[in-house]
Amino acid sequence: MVNDVTGFFTIKIRKVLSLILSVIMLGLIAIGCGGPAHQGWSGFAGDDGILYFGSMDSRVLAIDPSARSQGLPFPSEGEWVLPIPTAGSPGAICGPACVPASPRAGIYATPVVIGDLVCVGTYAGDSGKLMAINRLAPGYAEGVPLRSKGEWAYPSGVQSIGAIVGSPVVVEDTLYVGTSEGEVYALGVVYGESNKWKQPFDTEGKIWTSPAIKDNVVYISNYAHKFFALSRIDGSLIWEIELPAAAASSPAVAGDDVFFGAFDNQLYAVDVTNGDVKWTFGGDNWFWSTPVVKDGVVYAGCLDNKIYALSASTGEELWQFTADGPIASTPVLVDNILVVASESGMVYMLKADSGKPEHDPVPVDASVKVPVKAPLYAEGNMVYVHASNRCVYCIDVQSGEKVWSFCYSEIE
Amino acid sequence: MAELWNTIILEPVLNSLIAMCTVLGGNFGLAIIVLTVIVRLILFPLTVRQTQSTKAMQSLQPRIQELQKKYAKSKEKLQQETMKLYKEAGINPLGCLWPMLIQLPIWIALYQSIMQALAATPENLLNLSQHLYSWAAVGQAVPLNEHFLWLRLSRPDPNLILAILVGGTMWVQQKMVTPPSADPRQKSMTSMTTMMMPLMFGFFTLSFPSGLALYWTVSNILGIIIQYFVSGGWGYLRTPSVPKQAPSQKTSLAQKPIPAEQQSKVLKRAAEQSKTIKQASSEEKKRRGLFGR
Repeated sequence: MVNDVTGFFTIKIRKVLSLILSVIMLGLIAIGCGGPAHQGWSGFAGDDGILYFGSMDSRVLAIDPSARSQGLPFPSEGEWVLPIPTAGSPGAICGPACVPASPRAGIYATPVVIGDLVCVGTYAGDSGKLMAINRLAPGYAEGVPLRSKGEWAYPSGVQSIGAIVGSPVVVEDTLYVGTSEGEVYALGVVYGESNKWKQPFDTEGKIWTSPAIKDNVVYISNYAHKFFALSRIDGSLIWEIELPAAAASSPAVAGDDVFFGAFDNQLYAVDVTNGDVKWTFGGDNWFWSTPVVKDGVVYAGCLDNKIYALSASTGEELWQFTADGPIASTPVLVDNILVVASESGMVYMLKADSGKPEHDPVPVDASVKVPVKAPLYAEGNMVYVHASNRCVYCIDVQSGEKVWSFCYSEIE
Repeated sequence: MAELWNTIILEPVLNSLIAMCTVLGGNFGLAIIVLTVIVRLILFPLTVRQTQSTKAMQSLQPRIQELQKKYAKSKEKLQQETMKLYKEAGINPLGCLWPMLIQLPIWIALYQSIMQALAATPENLLNLSQHLYSWAAVGQAVPLNEHFLWLRLSRPDPNLILAILVGGTMWVQQKMVTPPSADPRQKSMTSMTTMMMPLMFGFFTLSFPSGLALYWTVSNILGIIIQYFVSGGWGYLRTPSVPKQAPSQKTSLAQKPIPAEQQSKVLKRAAEQSKTIKQASSEEKKRRGLFGR
């Protein structure tokens, strides 16, 4: 009798197990594929008291901090919201989790303000473009710029130059940007034409970082382990170096050195004149955020939860501070206070000379409690944080407390 | 739980995959193929046990069909008699499931590793940092070069080539192990399952990163090779979908009672196959010693 019962259950269990295995497999395939879809992590560009940034839901926003602090209805004067059109991605077929044919555009690059225009780089899987929007009153309609307002898109129509992740940089009347196709472009900001160089510079490797420019030299890295110094004037190669690992962060130039983090967990200091590596400093994970350099000190946020202060000339560690999560967001200096945000949503205000917290005890309301990946932006004593819950937070560095927050996901 | 899974299973596979990419000159497509082959080789003894166990069970099918006919009205009696039959032949019906259950976490880890390592979006790349070891070979390979042959491994294959390869190899593999059925209802269900899975995976290939489809293809091809050598041929691939019936016979094999002599032959054959599995298992144990390695 016992055997019969066991037999009955054995067969039942077999059927149930087969069913469970099939469900697990199909479930994995249906939902476990692509991980989270791209959202973006644009920082802010400020001008005339207005902040411009790319949202995490395919829009460009202009917000007025004073209107937000008063809690006025959006949009108030000078504020607007502009949706970014979906970009076509030839060849890809829409699927349940991964790469749809027309992916929603995301914005990783921090916009730049040039006169009356605000320039935004878009990311849509394989494709992307640069859009110059009239920042006083956008004329864009369904992705088509209004020429009479000075707006342009590069390239025009459905063409693409590859996804843009690194932020563009403007010097005089030229905009410099690297694309995931591996090319560095120099565009005239007035008409958005690629006429500043004879042709874009091909680095032969994906670019997901921003360029840094100093003394007519453009410094940029690609994911093929290369770091380049190019002439800003004609795009010719001045020098290039091959690194043991690809650069993870965008470079920062100060004095005679350019500083950047790489995927081998090292922070590099490279001589701007010839590309010689002056020193390296090792962390326990990638130096992902762009280093900040001031008064001979390099402040570098690392994904090992630490922020390091290093001597720019020797690479010697001056101090380190351990946060409660990885630091992916680029920190900002407000006078002698270094403001750092971690991926766990804590915002730290540290004394730049010692790494000790500025406020003791740390104000309860200082944290935003949601992951922060976008670079921080400071104006006066206020620091602006673009958090992953699609909200913007304004934090007063003096008091260390949140002043206001604005969640744009609620805006139609 | 997720943390435990990541630490014990996912991260070792993920880091091995990325380190292998560096060893193979930064070719991630080749790394996927090599790691799939290595994992298949490690799991080879389990696959053999599973195949032999399935084969032993299949050899009892005529007897089971006969019992189904005989005890069509009493399910309970049917279960009892089926279990008795398995017992006589020395077969554990769950025997072919355990090897599959042990293999499953490793396949899932390999699957997840490929997805994570490809880091198709900037967010994926940033998340990858929390799963990597500080090995030099890992740091040098990241972010991975996604180009392999005509493919971009983080994107779907725009041609139909990979979809056909995935669907075709899966169909062949399934066809090799699926016995034809005389029962029309069961037959239509079997043929639907045999067709549906390859079609579904072929369709998935059109939308999923081609690195994953490459893994499916290689895994299927290896499965076919193992099946071919373990079962000694193409199995049911060459058998017509409906078992041939003698024109003069009025009843099918399933309907006609099997003579006692033939019954004992079937049982003997199944028992021999079961014995082979047990022998292989005890030899393995002896080789490993009392406490294993």
